[in-house]
Amino acid sequence: MAAGVLMPKAGITVEECMITKWEKAVGDKVNAGDLLFTYETDKASFECESTAEGELLEIFYFEGDEVPVLVNVCAVGKKGDDVSSLRPGAAVRPTPDKATVTVETTFTDSRSERAEPADGNLKISPRAQNLSEKIGVEASLASPTGPGGRIVERDILALADSGGLGGLEAADEEPPKSKVPDSEYEDAALSKIRRVIAGAMAGSLASIPQLTHHHSFDATNILDFRKRIKTSAERFGLPNITLNDIILYAVSRTLLKFPDFNAHIVDGDIVRRFKHAHIGVAMDTPRGLMVPTIFNADKKTLDEISAESKSLASRAQSGSISPDALHGATFTVTNLGSLGVEMFTPVINAPQTAILGVCGLITRFKSDGGELKPYQAMGLSVTYDHRIIDGAPEARFASELISYLENFTAMLIK
Amino acid sequence: MPKSMYIDPAATLAAGKISFEDIPVNTYGKSVKDELNQNNYTKGDLVRIYRDIAILREFESMLSMIKTQGVYNGIETTYPGPAHLSLGQEAAAVGEAYLLTSDDFIFGSHRSHSEILAKSLSAIEKLGDDELMAIMEGFLGGRTLRAVEKVSKPDSVAELAVEFIIYGALTEIFARENGFHMGLGGSMHAFFLPFGVYPNNAIVGGSACIAAGAALYKKCNKKKGIVVCNLGDGSLGCGPVWEALNFSAMGQFKTLWEDGKNGGMPIIFNFFNNGYGMGGQTRGETMAYDMLARVGAGISPTQMHSERVNGFNPLAVIEAYKRKKELVKKGGGPVLLDVLTYRFSGHSTSDQNAYRSRDEIDAWRGLDPIITYRKSLVDADVASDSVFEDILADTSERMTRICEWACDVKISPYADFKNNSSVVERMMFSNERKEKLDDRPPEVLTDKDDCAAYVKIKGKIRAVESDGKPTPKLRLFNLRDAISETIIDKYYEDPTLISYGEDVRDWGGAFAVYRDMSGSIPYSRLFNTPISESAIVGSAVGYGLCGGRAVIELMYADFIGRAGDEIFNQLSKWQAMSAGILKMPVILRVSVGSKYGAQHSQDWVALCAHIPGLKVCFPATPWEAKGLMKSALNGTDPVVFFESQRIYDVGEQFRKGGVPAEDYEITIGDTNTVRKGGDITFLTIGSTLYRAVEAANLLEEKHNVSVEVINLHSLVPLNYTDIIESVKKTGRVLLTSDACARGSFLNDVARNITELCFDYLDAPPVVVGAQNWITPPFEFDEYFFPQASWIIDAVNEKIMPLKGHAPTTNHTLTEQLRKAKLGV
Repeated sequence: MAAGVLMPKAGITVEECMITKWEKAVGDKVNAGDLLFTYETDKASFECESTAEGELLEIFYFEGDEVPVLVNVCAVGKKGDDVSSLRPGAAVRPTPDKATVTVETTFTDSRSERAEPADGNLKISPRAQNLSEKIGVEASLASPTGPGGRIVERDILALADSGGLGGLEAADEEPPKSKVPDSEYEDAALSKIRRVIAGAMAGSLASIPQLTHHHSFDATNILDFRKRIKTSAERFGLPNITLNDIILYAVSRTLLKFPDFNAHIVDGDIVRRFKHAHIGVAMDTPRGLMVPTIFNADKKTLDEISAESKSLASRAQSGSISPDALHGATFTVTNLGSLGVEMFTPVINAPQTAILGVCGLITRFKSDGGELKPYQAMGLSVTYDHRIIDGAPEARFASELISYLENFTAMLIK
Repeated sequence: MPKSMYIDPAATLAAGKISFEDIPVNTYGKSVKDELNQNNYTKGDLVRIYRDIAILREFESMLSMIKTQGVYNGIETTYPGPAHLSLGQEAAAVGEAYLLTSDDFIFGSHRSHSEILAKSLSAIEKLGDDELMAIMEGFLGGRTLRAVEKVSKPDSVAELAVEFIIYGALTEIFARENGFHMGLGGSMHAFFLPFGVYPNNAIVGGSACIAAGAALYKKCNKKKGIVVCNLGDGSLGCGPVWEALNFSAMGQFKTLWEDGKNGGMPIIFNFFNNGYGMGGQTRGETMAYDMLARVGAGISPTQMHSERVNGFNPLAVIEAYKRKKELVKKGGGPVLLDVLTYRFSGHSTSDQNAYRSRDEIDAWRGLDPIITYRKSLVDADVASDSVFEDILADTSERMTRICEWACDVKISPYADFKNNSSVVERMMFSNERKEKLDDRPPEVLTDKDDCAAYVKIKGKIRAVESDGKPTPKLRLFNLRDAISETIIDKYYEDPTLISYGEDVRDWGGAFAVYRDMSGSIPYSRLFNTPISESAIVGSAVGYGLCGGRAVIELMYADFIGRAGDEIFNQLSKWQAMSAGILKMPVILRVSVGSKYGAQHSQDWVALCAHIPGLKVCFPATPWEAKGLMKSALNGTDPVVFFESQRIYDVGEQFRKGGVPAEDYEITIGDTNTVRKGGDITFLTIGSTLYRAVEAANLLEEKHNVSVEVINLHSLVPLNYTDIIESVKKTGRVLLTSDACARGSFLNDVARNITELCFDYLDAPPVVVGAQNWITPPFEFDEYFFPQASWIIDAVNEKIMPLKGHAPTTNHTLTEQLRKAKLGV
């Protein structure tokens, strides 16, 4: 059956938007997440990605049209599907009350909520800008609630309250040198990125009731898989799949079954559950911690995830990464396994609701018919926001993820 | 509308006719010999009259040469300003001044050089050496005298004074610091108070109401001398001149004013009738009167003792003044004189004389007094021709010397605008504090404690709550009482204080501010005026600049237009144009209306705030009203004091304990923080304060938004300290008043806040004003004037979207653009 794609509500006060350019034509094949069209409000330009999959069957509004928000813009489905019921005006669409609308809005890409007009300048009040610099949160991560999508003071305060670590931009300034070179110690001002990390970490721990469960799983299957890929990689032109890629893939397939883990907490009383998994990958870089995002990871194949992960890593290392790639994650994976960490308590990257810490391999034994057999075990440390997630659901999430990883090759068939 | 004067229907409706006396036209018929025989003059007097005419002629010729050729007797110089020359009119000016003393004041027009010099020369002749030296030493700290002494080598103090006065006038015209008022007035505004030369006015007819006010000052304060208002024949086309004639001839001076103050106004309206209003011929073309003297007959039963006089004969003018001055001193004023003269030069030096023929000019030149008067003196053996030749030669020589000094920047420097940015700035306001302007006991009819208005106000409860209960409305000390009380106090303190306006006495003012005062305050200090806003304001300007304190009332702000020139050019500008010599202790009370439609309901504060030189207040609480009125009444600056008809009855809601009974002043320029808050600042003007407080309550209750409310009771000056502090704290500011949004004063405040607090702002300052429409009928008030709901909607739309708020009015940017595009 054909599905409609709604004109997103680009901000609380936005009532209608103008379509600026269609990127797809009727008859084109469309994947969910594909860029369908660009649109703008009186203040900013946005991109609309498809929420449906199939063929673009009919376009209801064209370039230059002003479209009320939350009204179908086009229909996507199988050729021959009936689209008449999707045409705007075909049936009276019940007007949801404001609070519900905010919660139900389809956030295909959380970037659409950001206060970035086409020219790339952040729309932010001077007061909010000053505050963000003063307390060290990255203003561009704030969810704007000001008129016309402007970030205002309360948005920065909300961001700070929720931890403020949505992603980190490459620092562009050298930390100042100590002014007392001959003293017994050296004072060094925190770099911009360190200040951002400091604010975010302190904010997260201060404002989120978070706790960590430690799990362990049998890594035999993924180790075998990786070994096999590695030996045949050259022959089949496959990329070098890392254990982390495998875990990211497994997480991307597990997350959507546990929507509270793929979510943000907004204004302290709204949980925004995302329809796709945008996984932040924590990376150690010369400038400090950076968390680039693999968007729509749930739609990507293992080799796509692997390739994107490598590309993001190299750009993060070199500092050339686009700020866009540092925003918008719905869940974060942080891996200290290669550094020999046995277990740790990762800190939630607010406004996300959970984070997965990947630990190192250790040899464990398990009883097999009364015989102790050694195997490679890998630790997983999951920190979750207890406001949204209780202990048992976390256990179920971990159990599902572990089951996926222990039967990875079988799951790949799905 | 005094009850004492009965409008008898029988007498009013009886048949009859109005008869007029004949109006004399050029009736002076004496010869020089006659005058000598009657011992009216010595030969010396007659020659001195010629000398004065010659000085005036040379002065104007000098300016004409400089303007048209850039050179006078070998002195090359240029002067870019105006030069409205009175070449040809000198004999009339000398004739007028001849009998006037320093106690007699003259006011004049843009064409006043001759009048200034003639009046000064006449005063010099009458004053002793010591008096002259004291005047010259005392003027501008002796600066002008020092400059003259450096170069002048006179035979006598009187001769020194003559050079002083010519030099002072010329340097004033040349915009030099040694000028009569430091060059800030210039050619059309020069004056010299010590000789009774009062301000001249570049607005045609502008002096009429001001001179009437000066006469009022003399009358009310029993000062010596009369007032002569010099006007041109063209000025009778201006409404304010008619208002001044009528105001000066009001019946009440004779019918109602108390003994000692009753009788006609001591003023002569002297029209120098040169036949032209710029290029328009007043007789036969632009005016209806045919003969100007006729106008007096239309003003009053005395016909203003109107008369036409030949201004080409100085002796004819003197003879007329002898009679008229005596008449005025006896209470017979006002008088109208139609003094015929002719201007040989153009209206200004750019005039090409396209409107008159060469023959006409030549014919009048043939009668030039400088020739004919001289001939009459020679014929009567007063002096020989050589005496007059010597006078002309001496005058030319003297004028050349003085011109040289005036042009020399070492002797006559310009004000140093380059290094001293405050040259004009420090002249804009006098900022003095003078509780009374004269020491005599104030004239009142009862003790203050027996003043009915005072007793009533004293019996009121000064706070909105008493003993935990709301004060009943009729017992509540309200904003009106705050104003009345302060004015009553001043009546019993400053003997010069007078109040007037339309219906202020028996009626008590349309809004009852003067209610119950008439039993204690005599007519001369509290009187009804004709419906003449120009005369009300203009006369107060004259009263104030002579040294009296006046509180005047305009019934509705919408009537400001009727007094436009008087408020915007006269009241506002004279302190600075006089380089601080004049003070302007005048309070213009203006009521802002509601309910009475488009021409009675507009808030015009922005217009007054725009004009430099006016202090502007708009109290919205009784505490503010009393403190500001006290401050205004103790000051020496013009204050436009707006009052809203919506809130005359409000009590003091914001200050604990209400309005203090004792005296206190609020500095004009302060602000009043009526409510503390942390999330947003509201700035208000006028009665909108109360709607803003209502909005603040709603925001606090429904949206947990804490509002700081600051009332701007003063617009000019305005101290931004508290505003900045508040906006830095809250980061958000909304400004609201009942003025139409376009051009509202609040836009100015908003701009300043944007500049002063930019880095602290969370949203642009938002102004919520009235619609840019005519004010619709009162029934639709809520669609025109800002309401609490508008304020909240504007906050939601432009500053901080409010969760769950459903707007009822459209304050979107799109709507703002649409309205701007349409100009509505």
